[in-house]
Amino acid sequence: MTRPGDRLLGEVARLDPARLVLIVLSAMVATAAGLLLPGALAAAVDAAIGGRNSWPEVAWLLTLGTSEIAADIFGGILAVRVTSSGTAWLRRKLTDRLFGLGTRSKFAEGDAISRLTGDCVGAGAITSIVVQLGSAVLISTGAIVLLGLLDWRLALVFLGSVPLALLLARAHLKHTADDVLTYQRVSGELGARLLDAVAGLRTIAASGTADLETERVLRPLPQLSRAGRGMWKTQARMVWRAALLLPAVELAVLAAAGFGVASGRLSIGEVLAALGYVALGMRMVTQIPLLTTLARARSCGQRLMEVLDSPVPERGNLSLRPGNGTIQLRHVSLEGALDDVSLTITSGAFLVVVGKSGSGKSALVNVLGGLRPPDSGQVLLDGAPLEKLRPEELRAVVGYAFERPALLGATVSDAVGYGSWAGEASVRNACRMAQVHDVVVRLPDGYHTPLTETPLSGGEAQRLGLARAIVHNPRLLILDDATASLDTVTEAAVEEAIETALPGRTRVVVTRRATTAARADLVVWLENGRVRAVAPHASLWHDPGYRSVFTEDSQ
Amino acid sequence: MSVGRLYRSALVGQWRGGLVLLGCSVLESVPAFFSGRLVELAVDQGFAAGKPGTGLAWLGVFGLVALLGAIGSRFVWHQLGKVIEPMRDALVTAVVRGVLHDDSPPRNQPDASGVARITQHVEVVRDATAGLLVQARGMMVTTVAALAGLFTVAGSLAWIVSIPVIVSVGLFAGMLPSLASRQRALALADEHTAETAGSALVGMRDVVACGAEPIASMAMYGAVDGQAEAAMRMARSTALRTLVISIGGFLPLLLALLVAPGMVISGELTAGAALGALVYLAATMQPALRGLAATASTVVLRLIVALRRLSETAEVPEVVEGHAAPRGAAVAVRGLTFGWGAHAEPVVRQLDLDLRPGEHLAVVGPSGIGKSTLAGLITGMISPQEGRVFLGGAPVREVRAAERHRLVALIPQEAYVFAGTVRDNLALFSHDATDQQLLDAAEAVGAKELVARLGGLEGELGHAGEGISPGEAQLLALARVYAGSARVIILDEATSHLDPVAEAQAERAFAARGGVLVVIAHRLSSALRARRVLVMDGQETLLGQHEELLVTSARYAAMMQAWITPAPLRLSSPSTLPATPAASR
Repeated sequence: MTRPGDRLLGEVARLDPARLVLIVLSAMVATAAGLLLPGALAAAVDAAIGGRNSWPEVAWLLTLGTSEIAADIFGGILAVRVTSSGTAWLRRKLTDRLFGLGTRSKFAEGDAISRLTGDCVGAGAITSIVVQLGSAVLISTGAIVLLGLLDWRLALVFLGSVPLALLLARAHLKHTADDVLTYQRVSGELGARLLDAVAGLRTIAASGTADLETERVLRPLPQLSRAGRGMWKTQARMVWRAALLLPAVELAVLAAAGFGVASGRLSIGEVLAALGYVALGMRMVTQIPLLTTLARARSCGQRLMEVLDSPVPERGNLSLRPGNGTIQLRHVSLEGALDDVSLTITSGAFLVVVGKSGSGKSALVNVLGGLRPPDSGQVLLDGAPLEKLRPEELRAVVGYAFERPALLGATVSDAVGYGSWAGEASVRNACRMAQVHDVVVRLPDGYHTPLTETPLSGGEAQRLGLARAIVHNPRLLILDDATASLDTVTEAAVEEAIETALPGRTRVVVTRRATTAARADLVVWLENGRVRAVAPHASLWHDPGYRSVFTEDSQ
Repeated sequence: MSVGRLYRSALVGQWRGGLVLLGCSVLESVPAFFSGRLVELAVDQGFAAGKPGTGLAWLGVFGLVALLGAIGSRFVWHQLGKVIEPMRDALVTAVVRGVLHDDSPPRNQPDASGVARITQHVEVVRDATAGLLVQARGMMVTTVAALAGLFTVAGSLAWIVSIPVIVSVGLFAGMLPSLASRQRALALADEHTAETAGSALVGMRDVVACGAEPIASMAMYGAVDGQAEAAMRMARSTALRTLVISIGGFLPLLLALLVAPGMVISGELTAGAALGALVYLAATMQPALRGLAATASTVVLRLIVALRRLSETAEVPEVVEGHAAPRGAAVAVRGLTFGWGAHAEPVVRQLDLDLRPGEHLAVVGPSGIGKSTLAGLITGMISPQEGRVFLGGAPVREVRAAERHRLVALIPQEAYVFAGTVRDNLALFSHDATDQQLLDAAEAVGAKELVARLGGLEGELGHAGEGISPGEAQLLALARVYAGSARVIILDEATSHLDPVAEAQAERAFAARGGVLVVIAHRLSSALRARRVLVMDGQETLLGQHEELLVTSARYAAMMQAWITPAPLRLSSPSTLPATPAASR
């Protein structure tokens, strides 16, 4: 039974059947021409040595040589074309699936990135790998057969000498790993020192101690240098024998061919042909790494299939009902985070969620706004179950802001309007509400400053994230500890601005600050994934257990 | 620094090692030089003359020569470390110098992946240089030796056939720059794909929360297609390169075959010599040329791309040394205006400020409004667009750098703590301070217990502040400056990770130390301790005493009000000052 990964590779290979045929054809032409060349060369040489007119032989040689070069080049370009379009196809397919899975994806970020960047390339090259392997096998076996046709003794000598020569030239696998380990360790140490210094760049610049710090960072350099020299010496011991591989086989075949010439079985030109066949016959040895590449391509295919086989849930197709953001949770559970939570949030309420770390605060708000589906139970927004709603409609009425927002898009303005198609005016307005407008207008290009050139502090990023959440005027606003890095004054200003500009919106705010909880209509106090209490802050404050929620991480 | 200069400066001084390599190359080239000749002798004098013994003997010589060549390549590898490691050292030094000589570094988190990339690029340069020295040099040597050998067996033939070889190698060399730029475009497209994928996948929660899956997919599709196109452009260039080199290897063979018959007839060339010549051309030179094209182009391209990246970081800004001598350490700011760009709102506008020794100023305002920029302007790290800053009566940027750094210290929020002893860290700005002075400084800013916990001045600190909290790192940075000689000290949110009580102790210690103290406040409590307060809120810049500002600045009053009012946590706060309700982290 074929593995799913191999089926995927087959699909990639068949993406562009016309070019596939052309690649195989050009590989065949190149292989055939390559195999015929030594014979043609022998004929031409014999003609030349005999002092005969060598035109016909040379013309034949020219034809073969030209076709080999042309087929090589044509095939090379085609191979890149097929590889790059195969890779792109895989990447698009994977992108679709990853975004389809969204937050439900079980693949960690780094893992998903490596599949998208690395594995797609490995699997995309499948056609080219198989064609190269195929022609290497054809060329090697063809050369040995032709050598045998020339003189069966030569083929025997060749086949006999290859293993011996391989033995002679075998690389010492006795690793002198000490130098390698030292090199890596010192290299890591240098990197760590440099990173320390980079973290202190402002101190270094302000104190003018760059030269001294350079010296400090580079202190382990001599050790690195010593280990490096050791590595090259090890290489020297290992490598030089490999240089003997080809000459050894060539000599053996030359000697055998010499006897052939002496006994009149071979012409002088055929000696040259024999040398040519030896070089071609050895190609399989030099192409052995291709087998590893093939194995890698197959495992890449397998890893891609793991993603592509993950089922994407059905998209909802209900429209929103009119309403002002009333949320109901019915017996909602999420493995390891929430345990049978039922809750009703009336429209326009300012609700705060508190609890110690790991009590399920983020899980609760993720479920509330449909960022994660619950394992069991149901979430209703204005009476409609979230998972049945059209995702784009749901997203348009729910605004999320996070403690560490990932800001996406090219410029600051793009980042705030990300996903909402908001215009410049509403972006500016949202930034004013989030108290970040004054920061943005001081950037080199204001709202059009590229994000990559905008070093943002945690608080600045948070406020841009807030602006992004309110820019599309949502029914339900969810702030997941999204003002944690703001000073309390700015936080209060943000809250006031939202209340003024977006009156009557349902707000759900995860916080670790008692002051925020004090301003809320209701506090949901979570403990171990369950609701411990739902009440106003003032009536909970007398409970020492409740107070301890806030002292947890204040210094 | 230009790419070429960086590489040359790294390789310069390695000429002795280079000469030795050249010597090894001669040994390495022996088999290529004799290959055709020995085949000729084995055939002419041995096998074709009916003396197989002699033929075998010549082939035996060929074997010995091959062994010599292998020994030569062993020497080459052995020698390599002496050229490459010093080159790598020089490169690392240039890059580290460049990175650390950043005049006005950004305030964001240190870019760990950037540092990792630097290490990778240096390793690429190291490997690629080795590749050039071993493989490309070896192929070159083989090609030259084969041509030279050809001259010994068939001189007149050699003249004709060396022309296409030289032409094609020259053409190939001429194509390298355009190949390099396509390779660079491809590398950039690869990076762009990885970055686009990275930001979208790492930010998947945000993509979904914004309902932006279609936008994110579109961005990915764009990057992916761009990468595929770049790969195709690269492939076309590579094909042209292959064509040039293939012709350069094949044409000599054809020429030799066309010319040889006439020469054999006229007796210029024996049958064996003709065979020898063709062995040189077909068995030795042609494979070497192909190898050269394949390795040289990929290796050179990798090298160029990595070097270009490194040369961007190895830039060391030119420092114009000032000569002004300050008298005293009073700071005067006159008509100061600064903004981050032509389209940017200025951070400060027409600011006047006088700070005499004994002054204690707090700067308050929301984050991102430009308080740190003001600190950079006062210390002379940034030059203003208009107006001036004077230090002891002299323009601060014209004061001799060493003097300026002796007088002015800035402690940023991100404390610099490096691997080494506690003493190394504390004595960074006062190398001749006694242990007692260092311990006193630590005690003054409230780091006494921390130093004791770390094992005293001999205690060792790890990388990246391992084993100490951000607040403790800030205490060490404070003690370091306290022990130093500075008379103007700017705390740029330097106590942000301390609790309010510890923050108060540190600020009071610096206020009592004398000189000018500017505190860029993380909490408003800093303003209550200062003699004067500078309010920066994006609209206006106001200077005054706390009580005055409560009356004159509605914004300041509102800020104070908002900060003091919310009550509940005051119950649990031990501070006597109206502390911030929850310690912000």
